[in-house]
Amino acid sequence: MDGLITVEHLHKSYRISKRGKGIPGMLANLVAPKYEKKDAVKDISFQIAEGEMVGFIGPNGAGKSTTIKMLSGILYPDSGQILVDGKVPYRQRKQYVGNIGVVFGQKSQLQWDLPVIDSFELLKAIYRIPDQTYKRNLARFTEMLDMQEFLKQPVRQLSLGQRMRADIVAALLHDPKIVFFDEPTIGVDVVGKETIRTFIRELNAQDQITMLFTTHDMQDIEKTCKRLLIIDQGNKVYDGALSGIREMYGTTRTLDLELQTEVQVAPIPHVTISRPDDSNPRKWQLQFDHHAVSVQELMGFLLATYPVRDLNISEPEIESIIRNIYGGRQSE
Amino acid sequence: MNLKPYIAYARKSFLMRSAYRFDHIMQILSTCLQIFIYWEIYRSLYGSSIEVDGISFGMVTTNFVLSLGFSAGFYVNDFYLPQKIWDGSLVTELLRPISFRGRMLAENIGNGVFSMLFRFLPAFVIGVVLVGICPPESAAALGLFLVSAALGYGVLWTISFAVQMTAFWLVNIWSIVTIKNVCINILSGSMIPIWFMPEWLRNLIDFTPFSSIYFTPVQIYLGQLSGREIAGKCLLQVVWIVCMYGIGSVLWKRGQRKLVIHGG
Repeated sequence: MDGLITVEHLHKSYRISKRGKGIPGMLANLVAPKYEKKDAVKDISFQIAEGEMVGFIGPNGAGKSTTIKMLSGILYPDSGQILVDGKVPYRQRKQYVGNIGVVFGQKSQLQWDLPVIDSFELLKAIYRIPDQTYKRNLARFTEMLDMQEFLKQPVRQLSLGQRMRADIVAALLHDPKIVFFDEPTIGVDVVGKETIRTFIRELNAQDQITMLFTTHDMQDIEKTCKRLLIIDQGNKVYDGALSGIREMYGTTRTLDLELQTEVQVAPIPHVTISRPDDSNPRKWQLQFDHHAVSVQELMGFLLATYPVRDLNISEPEIESIIRNIYGGRQSE
Repeated sequence: MNLKPYIAYARKSFLMRSAYRFDHIMQILSTCLQIFIYWEIYRSLYGSSIEVDGISFGMVTTNFVLSLGFSAGFYVNDFYLPQKIWDGSLVTELLRPISFRGRMLAENIGNGVFSMLFRFLPAFVIGVVLVGICPPESAAALGLFLVSAALGYGVLWTISFAVQMTAFWLVNIWSIVTIKNVCINILSGSMIPIWFMPEWLRNLIDFTPFSSIYFTPVQIYLGQLSGREIAGKCLLQVVWIVCMYGIGSVLWKRGQRKLVIHGG
Protein backbone atom coordinates (compact mmCIF):
# COMPACT_ATOMS: atom_id res chain seq x y z
CA MET A 1 0.00 0.00 0.00
CA ASP A 2 1.35 3.38 -0.87
CA GLY A 3 -0.20 6.70 -0.04
CA LEU A 4 -0.23 8.39 3.31
CA ILE A 5 -3.91 7.67 3.81
CA THR A 6 -5.36 4.38 2.68
CA VAL A 7 -9.01 3.56 3.07
CA GLU A 8 -10.39 0.22 1.96
CA HIS A 9 -14.00 -0.92 1.83
CA LEU A 10 -14.99 1.29 4.71
CA HIS A 11 -18.41 0.60 6.15
CA LYS A 12 -20.35 2.12 9.02
CA SER A 13 -23.98 1.86 9.89
CA TYR A 14 -26.09 2.85 12.84
CA ARG A 15 -29.54 2.26 14.18
CA ILE A 16 -32.13 4.92 14.01
CA SER A 17 -35.25 4.61 16.05
CA LYS A 18 -38.43 4.41 14.03
CA ARG A 19 -41.30 5.84 15.93
CA GLY A 20 -44.93 6.18 14.97
CA LYS A 21 -46.80 9.43 15.12
CA GLY A 22 -48.12 11.01 18.30
CA ILE A 23 -49.13 9.23 21.49
CA PRO A 24 -50.02 5.81 19.98
CA GLY A 25 -46.61 5.82 18.32
CA MET A 26 -44.95 6.71 21.58
CA LEU A 27 -46.73 3.89 23.44
CA ALA A 28 -45.88 1.37 20.74
CA ASN A 29 -42.28 2.53 20.94
CA LEU A 30 -42.20 2.03 24.69
CA VAL A 31 -43.40 -1.57 24.44
CA ALA A 32 -41.52 -2.65 21.34
CA PRO A 33 -39.03 -0.15 20.01
CA LYS A 34 -38.37 -0.46 16.31
CA TYR A 35 -35.06 0.36 14.78
CA GLU A 36 -33.94 0.77 11.25
CA LYS A 37 -30.39 0.19 10.15
CA LYS A 38 -28.96 3.02 8.16
CA ASP A 39 -25.73 2.78 6.26
CA ALA A 40 -23.90 6.05 6.70
CA VAL A 41 -20.91 4.79 4.77
CA LYS A 42 -21.46 1.78 2.53
CA ASP A 43 -18.26 0.96 0.76
CA ILE A 44 -15.62 3.60 0.30
CA SER A 45 -12.03 3.12 -0.77
CA PHE A 46 -9.45 5.71 -1.68
CA GLN A 47 -5.84 6.68 -1.25
CA ILE A 48 -4.29 10.03 -0.61
CA ALA A 49 -0.60 10.67 -1.17
CA GLU A 50 1.58 12.84 1.02
CA GLY A 51 1.17 16.56 0.37
CA GLU A 52 -2.03 16.15 -1.59
CA MET A 53 -5.00 18.42 -1.14
CA VAL A 54 -8.26 16.67 -1.80
CA GLY A 55 -11.75 18.12 -1.91
CA PHE A 56 -14.29 15.81 -0.37
CA ILE A 57 -17.84 16.59 -1.31
CA GLY A 58 -21.29 15.13 -1.32
CA PRO A 59 -24.83 16.17 -0.43
CA ASN A 60 -25.99 16.37 3.18
CA GLY A 61 -26.10 12.94 4.76
CA ALA A 62 -23.78 11.42 2.16
CA GLY A 63 -21.39 10.17 4.83
CA LYS A 64 -18.64 12.78 4.61
CA SER A 65 -18.53 13.68 8.27
CA THR A 66 -18.79 10.06 9.34
CA THR A 67 -15.84 9.23 7.10
CA ILE A 68 -13.82 12.13 8.51
CA LYS A 69 -14.65 11.04 12.05
CA MET A 70 -13.48 7.53 11.29
CA LEU A 71 -10.31 8.92 9.73
CA SER A 72 -9.75 10.98 12.87
CA GLY A 73 -10.04 7.97 15.14
CA ILE A 74 -13.24 9.07 16.85
CA LEU A 75 -15.62 6.51 15.43
CA TYR A 76 -15.06 2.80 14.94
CA PRO A 77 -15.89 1.49 11.47
CA ASP A 78 -18.09 -1.63 11.25
CA SER A 79 -15.79 -3.13 8.66
CA GLY A 80 -13.05 -2.13 6.28
CA GLN A 81 -9.59 -0.78 6.88
CA ILE A 82 -8.11 2.60 7.50
CA LEU A 83 -4.39 3.15 7.64
CA VAL A 84 -3.07 6.66 8.07
CA ASP A 85 0.65 7.22 8.28
CA GLY A 86 1.11 3.60 9.29
CA LYS A 87 -1.45 3.75 12.10
CA VAL A 88 -4.98 2.52 12.56
CA PRO A 89 -6.72 5.66 13.83
CA TYR A 90 -9.43 4.19 16.02
CA ARG A 91 -7.17 1.59 17.62
CA GLN A 92 -4.21 3.84 18.39
CA ARG A 93 -6.18 6.97 19.05
CA LYS A 94 -3.93 8.59 21.63
CA GLN A 95 -0.71 8.18 19.66
CA TYR A 96 -2.42 8.91 16.37
CA VAL A 97 -4.26 12.16 17.03
CA GLY A 98 -1.05 13.96 17.95
CA ASN A 99 -0.08 13.90 14.28
CA ILE A 100 -3.29 15.18 12.81
CA GLY A 101 -5.33 18.33 13.00
CA VAL A 102 -9.07 18.47 12.53
CA VAL A 103 -11.28 21.48 12.02
CA PHE A 104 -15.02 21.03 12.43
CA GLY A 105 -16.67 24.15 11.08
CA GLN A 106 -19.82 23.42 13.03
CA LYS A 107 -18.18 22.63 16.34
CA SER A 108 -15.72 24.92 17.98
CA GLN A 109 -12.82 23.29 19.75
CA LEU A 110 -12.02 26.39 21.74
CA GLN A 111 -12.91 27.07 25.35
CA TRP A 112 -16.06 29.12 25.21
CA ASP A 113 -15.45 31.31 28.26
CA LEU A 114 -11.73 31.90 27.87
CA PRO A 115 -9.80 34.26 25.61
CA VAL A 116 -8.55 32.69 22.38
CA ILE A 117 -4.95 32.85 23.51
CA ASP A 118 -5.76 30.83 26.65
CA SER A 119 -7.22 28.06 24.53
CA PHE A 120 -4.04 28.06 22.48
CA GLU A 121 -1.92 27.86 25.63
CA LEU A 122 -3.99 24.90 26.76
CA LEU A 123 -3.39 23.17 23.42
CA LYS A 124 0.30 23.86 23.80
CA ALA A 125 0.24 21.90 27.06
CA ILE A 126 -1.93 19.10 25.72
CA TYR A 127 0.15 18.50 22.60
CA ARG A 128 3.40 19.23 24.43
CA ILE A 129 4.39 21.73 21.79
CA PRO A 130 7.94 23.01 22.35
CA ASP A 131 8.13 26.72 23.20
CA GLN A 132 9.93 27.67 20.03
CA THR A 133 7.56 25.83 17.71
CA TYR A 134 4.57 27.29 19.52
CA LYS A 135 5.82 30.86 19.28
CA ARG A 136 6.82 30.49 15.66
CA ASN A 137 3.51 28.94 14.60
CA LEU A 138 1.42 31.36 16.59
CA ALA A 139 3.21 34.37 15.14
CA ARG A 140 3.04 33.00 11.63
CA PHE A 141 -0.62 31.96 11.68
CA THR A 142 -1.94 35.05 13.43
CA GLU A 143 -0.11 37.11 10.84
CA MET A 144 -1.46 35.09 7.91
CA LEU A 145 -5.01 35.11 9.20
CA ASP A 146 -4.91 38.62 10.59
CA MET A 147 -5.92 37.66 14.12
CA GLN A 148 -3.93 40.05 16.27
CA GLU A 149 -6.90 42.16 17.29
CA PHE A 150 -9.04 39.42 18.84
CA LEU A 151 -6.51 37.07 20.41
CA LYS A 152 -7.35 38.31 23.88
CA GLN A 153 -11.14 38.26 23.50
CA PRO A 154 -13.25 35.48 24.98
CA VAL A 155 -14.38 33.06 22.29
CA ARG A 156 -18.07 33.66 22.94
CA GLN A 157 -17.64 37.30 21.89
CA LEU A 158 -16.09 36.53 18.51
CA SER A 159 -17.86 36.75 15.19
CA LEU A 160 -18.30 33.51 13.31
CA GLY A 161 -15.53 34.35 10.87
CA GLN A 162 -13.11 35.18 13.67
CA ARG A 163 -14.01 32.04 15.57
CA MET A 164 -13.45 29.93 12.49
CA ARG A 165 -9.99 31.41 11.95
CA ALA A 166 -9.14 30.80 15.58
CA ASP A 167 -10.36 27.22 15.26
CA ILE A 168 -8.21 26.66 12.19
CA VAL A 169 -5.12 27.92 13.99
CA ALA A 170 -5.99 25.74 16.99
CA ALA A 171 -5.87 22.68 14.76
CA LEU A 172 -2.48 23.59 13.31
CA LEU A 173 -0.39 24.75 16.26
CA HIS A 174 1.16 21.33 16.84
CA ASP A 175 2.51 20.99 13.29
CA PRO A 176 0.21 18.19 12.17
CA LYS A 177 1.22 16.18 9.13
CA ILE A 178 -2.36 15.70 8.06
CA VAL A 179 -5.30 18.05 8.44
CA PHE A 180 -8.96 17.28 7.95
CA PHE A 181 -11.20 20.24 7.32
CA ASP A 182 -14.88 19.58 7.79
CA GLU A 183 -16.71 22.58 6.32
CA PRO A 184 -14.23 25.23 7.41
CA THR A 185 -16.02 28.03 5.58
CA ILE A 186 -19.58 27.33 6.65
CA GLY A 187 -21.44 30.51 7.46
CA VAL A 188 -18.44 32.73 6.81
CA ASP A 189 -18.79 35.83 4.62
CA VAL A 190 -17.17 36.21 1.21
CA VAL A 191 -14.07 38.03 2.42
CA GLY A 192 -13.59 35.64 5.31
CA LYS A 193 -13.93 32.66 3.00
CA GLU A 194 -11.29 34.05 0.70
CA THR A 195 -8.88 34.58 3.62
CA ILE A 196 -9.38 31.01 4.76
CA ARG A 197 -8.94 29.58 1.26
CA THR A 198 -5.75 31.53 0.66
CA PHE A 199 -4.41 30.42 4.00
CA ILE A 200 -5.16 26.76 3.35
CA ARG A 201 -3.66 26.91 -0.11
CA GLU A 202 -0.47 28.55 1.09
CA LEU A 203 -0.10 26.11 3.92
CA ASN A 204 -0.45 23.18 1.60
CA ALA A 205 2.07 24.62 -0.83
CA GLN A 206 4.64 25.72 1.75
CA ASP A 207 4.47 22.96 4.34
CA GLN A 208 3.37 20.02 2.24
CA ILE A 209 0.60 19.26 4.71
CA THR A 210 -1.78 16.63 3.43
CA MET A 211 -5.35 17.85 3.50
CA LEU A 212 -8.82 16.55 3.09
CA PHE A 213 -11.39 19.26 2.70
CA THR A 214 -15.14 18.92 3.09
CA THR A 215 -17.43 21.68 1.93
CA HIS A 216 -20.67 22.56 0.25
CA ASP A 217 -19.20 25.61 -1.39
CA MET A 218 -17.85 24.66 -4.79
CA GLN A 219 -15.73 27.80 -4.91
CA ASP A 220 -13.79 26.45 -1.95
CA ILE A 221 -12.94 23.41 -4.00
CA GLU A 222 -12.21 25.26 -7.23
CA LYS A 223 -9.87 27.63 -5.48
CA THR A 224 -8.00 25.13 -3.34
CA CYS A 225 -8.09 21.54 -4.54
CA LYS A 226 -6.78 19.77 -7.58
CA ARG A 227 -8.35 16.48 -6.77
CA LEU A 228 -11.96 15.80 -6.01
CA LEU A 229 -13.64 12.96 -4.20
CA ILE A 230 -17.41 12.84 -4.43
CA ILE A 231 -19.51 10.54 -2.32
CA ASP A 232 -23.22 10.08 -2.29
CA GLN A 233 -25.37 7.81 -0.11
CA GLY A 234 -22.29 6.24 1.37
CA ASN A 235 -20.69 5.34 -1.96
CA LYS A 236 -17.90 6.92 -3.92
CA VAL A 237 -19.19 8.37 -7.18
CA TYR A 238 -16.16 10.26 -8.44
CA ASP A 239 -12.48 10.29 -7.66
CA GLY A 240 -10.15 12.25 -9.88
CA ALA A 241 -8.90 15.58 -11.03
CA LEU A 242 -11.13 18.60 -10.69
CA SER A 243 -10.67 19.32 -14.38
CA GLY A 244 -11.61 15.74 -15.21
CA ILE A 245 -15.06 16.20 -13.86
CA ARG A 246 -15.80 18.73 -16.56
CA GLU A 247 -14.64 16.26 -19.18
CA MET A 248 -16.75 13.54 -17.74
CA TYR A 249 -19.97 15.25 -16.76
CA GLY A 250 -19.77 18.79 -18.00
CA THR A 251 -19.68 18.42 -21.74
CA THR A 252 -22.64 20.71 -22.28
CA ARG A 253 -21.87 24.16 -23.61
CA THR A 254 -24.22 27.07 -23.62
CA LEU A 255 -24.08 29.65 -26.38
CA ASP A 256 -25.85 32.93 -25.80
CA LEU A 257 -26.63 34.75 -28.95
CA GLU A 258 -27.90 38.24 -29.56
CA LEU A 259 -28.92 39.25 -33.06
CA GLN A 260 -29.19 42.71 -34.59
CA THR A 261 -32.66 42.12 -35.96
CA GLU A 262 -35.61 39.90 -35.11
CA VAL A 263 -34.78 36.81 -37.12
CA GLN A 264 -35.95 33.28 -36.38
CA VAL A 265 -33.05 30.89 -35.74
CA ALA A 266 -33.72 27.70 -37.71
CA PRO A 267 -33.23 24.27 -36.07
CA ILE A 268 -29.67 22.88 -36.09
CA PRO A 269 -28.98 19.14 -35.57
CA HIS A 270 -27.91 18.13 -31.95
CA VAL A 271 -28.48 21.66 -30.71
CA THR A 272 -31.30 22.72 -28.39
CA ILE A 273 -32.50 26.18 -29.20
CA SER A 274 -34.52 28.29 -26.80
CA ARG A 275 -35.41 31.88 -26.04
CA PRO A 276 -34.17 32.80 -22.57
CA ASP A 277 -35.84 36.18 -22.46
CA ASP A 278 -39.39 36.57 -23.74
CA SER A 279 -39.25 40.34 -23.72
CA ASN A 280 -36.27 40.45 -26.02
CA PRO A 281 -36.98 38.51 -29.24
CA ARG A 282 -33.42 39.10 -30.47
CA LYS A 283 -31.90 36.88 -27.77
CA TRP A 284 -31.40 33.16 -28.26
CA GLN A 285 -29.80 30.40 -26.26
CA LEU A 286 -28.22 27.33 -27.85
CA GLN A 287 -27.17 24.27 -25.85
CA PHE A 288 -25.11 21.41 -27.19
CA ASP A 289 -22.66 18.70 -26.28
CA HIS A 290 -19.23 19.84 -27.40
CA HIS A 291 -18.25 16.28 -28.29
CA ALA A 292 -21.18 16.01 -30.72
CA VAL A 293 -21.05 19.48 -32.21
CA SER A 294 -17.91 21.32 -33.21
CA VAL A 295 -17.81 24.74 -31.59
CA GLN A 296 -15.78 26.11 -34.46
CA GLU A 297 -18.22 24.96 -37.13
CA LEU A 298 -21.25 26.09 -35.19
CA MET A 299 -19.83 29.56 -34.68
CA GLY A 300 -18.79 29.85 -38.29
CA PHE A 301 -22.27 28.83 -39.37
CA LEU A 302 -23.99 31.29 -37.06
CA LEU A 303 -21.77 34.20 -38.03
CA ALA A 304 -22.24 33.50 -41.72
CA THR A 305 -26.00 32.97 -41.54
CA TYR A 306 -27.30 35.52 -39.04
CA PRO A 307 -26.65 39.18 -38.24
CA VAL A 308 -24.86 38.51 -34.96
CA ARG A 309 -24.44 41.39 -32.52
CA ASP A 310 -23.04 39.50 -29.52
CA LEU A 311 -22.07 35.92 -28.83
CA ASN A 312 -20.89 34.17 -25.70
CA ILE A 313 -20.02 30.55 -24.97
CA SER A 314 -19.94 29.30 -21.42
CA GLU A 315 -18.84 26.09 -19.73
CA PRO A 316 -21.10 24.80 -17.01
CA GLU A 317 -20.20 25.84 -13.47
CA ILE A 318 -18.75 23.05 -11.38
CA GLU A 319 -21.62 23.66 -9.06
CA SER A 320 -24.23 22.79 -11.65
CA ILE A 321 -22.28 19.71 -12.70
CA ILE A 322 -22.26 18.52 -9.13
CA ARG A 323 -25.94 19.27 -8.87
CA ASN A 324 -26.49 17.05 -11.88
CA ILE A 325 -24.47 14.25 -10.33
CA TYR A 326 -26.48 14.42 -7.11
CA GLY A 327 -29.70 14.88 -9.02
CA GLY A 328 -29.01 12.01 -11.40
CA ARG A 329 -29.15 9.65 -8.46
CA GLN A 330 -32.56 10.85 -7.40
CA SER A 331 -34.15 10.22 -10.78
CA GLU A 332 -32.77 6.70 -10.99
CA MET B 1 3.11 9.59 31.80
CA ASN B 2 3.41 13.28 31.30
CA LEU B 3 1.14 15.10 33.70
CA LYS B 4 1.49 18.52 32.14
CA PRO B 5 -1.65 18.44 29.99
CA TYR B 6 -3.73 17.20 32.90
CA ILE B 7 -2.43 19.91 35.18
CA ALA B 8 -3.30 22.40 32.48
CA TYR B 9 -6.87 21.07 32.40
CA ALA B 10 -7.15 21.20 36.18
CA ARG B 11 -5.90 24.76 36.16
CA LYS B 12 -8.28 25.77 33.41
CA SER B 13 -11.34 24.42 35.16
CA PHE B 14 -10.22 26.12 38.37
CA LEU B 15 -10.05 29.43 36.52
CA MET B 16 -13.35 28.91 34.76
CA ARG B 17 -15.17 28.33 38.02
CA SER B 18 -14.36 31.81 39.21
CA ALA B 19 -16.33 33.26 36.28
CA TYR B 20 -19.74 33.09 37.92
CA ARG B 21 -19.44 34.87 41.24
CA PHE B 22 -23.08 35.40 42.14
CA ASP B 23 -23.94 31.74 41.74
CA HIS B 24 -20.98 30.97 43.90
CA ILE B 25 -22.03 33.15 46.81
CA MET B 26 -25.54 31.71 46.65
CA GLN B 27 -24.13 28.19 46.90
CA ILE B 28 -22.28 29.07 50.10
CA LEU B 29 -25.46 30.62 51.49
CA SER B 30 -27.50 27.57 50.57
CA THR B 31 -25.07 25.26 52.39
CA CYS B 32 -25.13 27.44 55.50
CA LEU B 33 -28.90 27.55 55.40
CA GLN B 34 -29.06 23.77 55.12
CA ILE B 35 -26.75 23.32 58.09
CA PHE B 36 -28.79 25.78 60.11
CA ILE B 37 -32.13 24.15 59.28
CA TYR B 38 -30.89 20.65 60.16
CA TRP B 39 -29.41 22.02 63.33
CA GLU B 40 -32.72 23.58 64.33
CA ILE B 41 -34.67 20.40 63.56
CA TYR B 42 -32.37 18.22 65.65
CA ARG B 43 -32.21 20.78 68.42
CA SER B 44 -35.96 20.60 68.86
CA LEU B 45 -35.89 16.80 68.52
CA TYR B 46 -33.28 16.54 71.25
CA GLY B 47 -35.18 18.96 73.46
CA SER B 48 -33.68 18.76 76.91
CA SER B 49 -32.08 15.32 76.55
CA ILE B 50 -28.31 15.21 76.36
CA GLU B 51 -27.99 11.97 74.50
CA VAL B 52 -30.17 9.89 72.21
CA ASP B 53 -29.03 6.30 71.62
CA GLY B 54 -25.66 7.28 73.04
CA ILE B 55 -25.22 10.03 70.46
CA SER B 56 -24.85 13.54 71.79
CA PHE B 57 -26.32 16.58 70.09
CA GLY B 58 -22.79 17.89 69.53
CA MET B 59 -21.92 14.77 67.53
CA VAL B 60 -24.99 15.19 65.34
CA THR B 61 -24.10 18.81 64.70
CA THR B 62 -20.54 17.84 63.85
CA ASN B 63 -21.88 15.28 61.40
CA PHE B 64 -23.96 17.90 59.63
CA VAL B 65 -21.34 20.57 59.45
CA LEU B 66 -18.74 18.15 58.13
CA SER B 67 -20.83 16.13 55.71
CA LEU B 68 -22.86 19.05 54.37
CA GLY B 69 -19.69 21.11 54.15
CA PHE B 70 -18.02 18.33 52.22
CA SER B 71 -20.97 17.82 49.93
CA ALA B 72 -20.57 21.48 48.99
CA GLY B 73 -16.83 21.05 48.56
CA PHE B 74 -16.76 17.63 46.88
CA TYR B 75 -17.35 18.74 43.34
CA VAL B 76 -18.90 16.20 40.99
CA ASN B 77 -20.42 17.03 37.64
CA ASP B 78 -22.70 14.11 36.83
CA PHE B 79 -23.36 15.46 33.37
CA TYR B 80 -19.79 16.00 32.26
CA LEU B 81 -19.72 13.09 29.83
CA PRO B 82 -23.48 12.92 29.05
CA GLN B 83 -23.42 16.57 28.03
CA LYS B 84 -20.49 15.93 25.73
CA ILE B 85 -22.19 12.93 24.16
CA TRP B 86 -25.44 14.78 23.83
CA ASP B 87 -24.06 17.90 22.15
CA GLY B 88 -21.41 16.02 20.20
CA SER B 89 -18.44 17.83 21.71
CA LEU B 90 -16.97 14.49 22.77
CA VAL B 91 -15.65 14.48 19.21
CA THR B 92 -13.34 17.33 20.01
CA GLU B 93 -12.20 15.72 23.23
CA LEU B 94 -11.31 12.50 21.50
CA LEU B 95 -9.14 14.43 19.07
CA ARG B 96 -6.70 15.27 21.83
CA PRO B 97 -3.73 12.99 22.36
CA ILE B 98 -4.54 12.40 26.02
CA SER B 99 -6.63 10.04 28.09
CA PHE B 100 -10.19 11.26 28.34
CA ARG B 101 -10.69 9.61 31.71
CA GLY B 102 -7.56 11.28 33.01
CA ARG B 103 -8.84 14.55 31.75
CA MET B 104 -12.22 14.04 33.39
CA LEU B 105 -10.49 13.48 36.71
CA ALA B 106 -8.13 16.42 36.19
CA GLU B 107 -10.98 18.83 35.51
CA ASN B 108 -12.77 17.49 38.52
CA ILE B 109 -9.76 18.02 40.73
CA GLY B 110 -9.43 21.59 39.46
CA ASN B 111 -13.07 22.19 40.27
CA GLY B 112 -12.74 20.31 43.53
CA VAL B 113 -9.85 22.41 44.78
CA PHE B 114 -11.84 25.50 43.95
CA SER B 115 -14.87 24.18 45.77
CA MET B 116 -12.89 23.16 48.83
CA LEU B 117 -11.25 26.56 49.08
CA PHE B 118 -14.15 28.78 48.27
CA ARG B 119 -17.20 26.75 49.17
CA PHE B 120 -16.27 24.23 51.82
CA LEU B 121 -14.05 26.56 53.84
CA PRO B 122 -16.44 29.53 54.07
CA ALA B 123 -19.42 27.25 54.73
CA PHE B 124 -17.41 25.33 57.32
CA VAL B 125 -16.26 28.46 59.13
CA ILE B 126 -19.75 29.96 59.12
CA GLY B 127 -21.16 26.62 60.29
CA VAL B 128 -18.67 26.41 63.15
CA VAL B 129 -19.43 29.96 64.23
CA LEU B 130 -23.18 29.51 63.86
CA VAL B 131 -23.79 26.14 65.47
CA GLY B 132 -20.42 25.02 66.81
CA ILE B 133 -18.85 21.59 66.37
CA CYS B 134 -16.97 19.06 68.50
CA PRO B 135 -13.18 19.27 68.34
CA PRO B 136 -11.46 16.27 66.73
CA GLU B 137 -10.77 13.37 69.07
CA SER B 138 -6.99 13.75 68.66
CA ALA B 139 -4.39 15.08 66.27
CA ALA B 140 -4.00 11.59 64.81
CA ALA B 141 -7.77 11.37 64.34
CA LEU B 142 -7.66 14.67 62.47
CA GLY B 143 -4.93 13.41 60.14
CA LEU B 144 -6.66 10.11 59.45
CA PHE B 145 -9.91 12.00 58.99
CA LEU B 146 -8.34 14.07 56.21
CA VAL B 147 -7.01 10.94 54.48
CA SER B 148 -10.36 9.25 54.76
CA ALA B 149 -12.15 12.37 53.50
CA ALA B 150 -9.96 12.37 50.40
CA LEU B 151 -10.83 8.70 49.86
CA GLY B 152 -14.48 9.57 50.42
CA TYR B 153 -14.24 12.04 47.58
CA GLY B 154 -12.72 9.27 45.47
CA VAL B 155 -15.72 7.05 46.17
CA LEU B 156 -18.17 9.83 45.36
CA TRP B 157 -16.39 10.62 42.11
CA THR B 158 -16.00 7.05 40.90
CA ILE B 159 -19.70 6.34 41.51
CA SER B 160 -20.54 9.32 39.34
CA PHE B 161 -17.93 8.19 36.79
CA ALA B 162 -19.55 4.75 36.44
CA VAL B 163 -23.06 6.21 36.25
CA GLN B 164 -22.06 8.73 33.59
CA MET B 165 -20.79 5.99 31.29
CA THR B 166 -24.32 4.66 30.85
CA ALA B 167 -24.97 7.76 28.77
CA PHE B 168 -23.41 5.98 25.77
CA TRP B 169 -26.49 3.77 25.68
CA LEU B 170 -29.16 5.86 27.33
CA VAL B 171 -28.14 9.39 26.27
CA ASN B 172 -30.49 10.97 28.80
CA ILE B 173 -29.40 9.78 32.24
CA TRP B 174 -31.14 12.41 34.31
CA SER B 175 -33.31 9.85 36.10
CA ILE B 176 -30.43 7.53 36.97
CA VAL B 177 -28.40 10.44 38.27
CA THR B 178 -31.35 11.55 40.39
CA ILE B 179 -31.75 8.08 41.88
CA LYS B 180 -28.04 7.96 42.57
CA ASN B 181 -28.11 11.32 44.30
CA VAL B 182 -31.14 10.42 46.40
CA CYS B 183 -29.31 7.28 47.51
CA ILE B 184 -26.26 9.34 48.41
CA ASN B 185 -28.30 11.94 50.30
CA ILE B 186 -30.21 9.41 52.35
CA LEU B 187 -27.77 6.53 52.75
CA SER B 188 -24.56 8.49 53.23
CA GLY B 189 -25.72 9.92 56.52
CA SER B 190 -25.54 13.54 55.47
CA MET B 191 -29.29 13.99 55.92
CA ILE B 192 -30.11 11.51 58.67
CA PRO B 193 -27.06 10.35 60.62
CA ILE B 194 -26.56 6.62 60.10
CA TRP B 195 -26.56 6.15 63.90
CA PHE B 196 -30.30 6.75 63.98
CA MET B 197 -31.21 4.34 61.23
CA PRO B 198 -32.89 1.03 62.04
CA GLU B 199 -30.51 -1.87 62.36
CA TRP B 200 -31.61 -3.68 59.19
CA LEU B 201 -30.98 -0.53 57.16
CA ARG B 202 -27.61 -0.01 58.78
CA ASN B 203 -26.65 -3.55 57.82
CA LEU B 204 -27.81 -2.93 54.28
CA ILE B 205 -25.85 0.31 54.03
CA ASP B 206 -22.73 -1.58 55.00
CA PHE B 207 -22.92 -3.35 51.66
CA THR B 208 -23.16 -0.13 49.66
CA PRO B 209 -20.46 2.43 48.92
CA PHE B 210 -22.55 5.31 50.28
CA SER B 211 -21.46 5.28 53.91
CA SER B 212 -17.83 5.40 52.74
CA ILE B 213 -18.29 8.89 51.40
CA TYR B 214 -19.00 11.13 54.40
CA PHE B 215 -19.81 8.91 57.32
CA THR B 216 -16.49 7.06 57.60
CA PRO B 217 -14.46 10.31 57.85
CA VAL B 218 -16.95 11.75 60.35
CA GLN B 219 -16.70 8.64 62.54
CA ILE B 220 -12.92 8.84 62.46
CA TYR B 221 -13.05 12.53 63.36
CA LEU B 222 -15.24 11.84 66.36
CA GLY B 223 -12.99 9.00 67.50
CA GLN B 224 -15.75 6.40 67.23
CA LEU B 225 -13.61 3.80 65.54
CA SER B 226 -10.71 1.74 66.87
CA GLY B 227 -7.42 1.59 65.00
CA ARG B 228 -8.35 -1.70 63.39
CA GLU B 229 -11.76 -0.45 62.39
CA ILE B 230 -10.21 2.64 60.82
CA ALA B 231 -7.87 0.50 58.75
CA GLY B 232 -10.76 -1.72 57.70
CA LYS B 233 -13.04 1.18 56.72
CA CYS B 234 -10.32 2.98 54.78
CA LEU B 235 -9.50 -0.23 52.95
CA LEU B 236 -13.18 -0.55 52.12
CA GLN B 237 -13.10 2.95 50.68
CA VAL B 238 -10.21 1.96 48.44
CA VAL B 239 -12.03 -1.20 47.37
CA TRP B 240 -15.07 0.84 46.36
CA ILE B 241 -12.93 3.27 44.39
CA VAL B 242 -11.28 0.42 42.49
CA CYS B 243 -14.60 -1.33 41.85
CA MET B 244 -16.44 1.73 40.62
CA TYR B 245 -13.55 2.87 38.46
CA GLY B 246 -13.27 -0.62 37.01
CA ILE B 247 -16.94 -0.75 36.11
CA GLY B 248 -16.77 2.73 34.62
CA SER B 249 -13.71 1.87 32.55
CA VAL B 250 -15.25 -1.27 31.07
CA LEU B 251 -18.32 0.74 30.11
CA TRP B 252 -16.11 3.46 28.64
CA LYS B 253 -14.28 1.00 26.38
CA ARG B 254 -17.53 -0.55 25.17
CA GLY B 255 -19.30 2.76 24.92
CA GLN B 256 -16.77 4.19 22.53
CA ARG B 257 -17.63 1.52 19.98
CA LYS B 258 -21.28 2.42 20.38
CA LEU B 259 -20.63 6.09 19.91
CA VAL B 260 -22.65 7.66 17.15
CA ILE B 261 -22.45 11.32 16.39
CA HIS B 262 -25.09 12.64 14.09
CA GLY B 263 -25.04 15.72 11.95
CA GLY B 264 -22.29 18.15 11.23
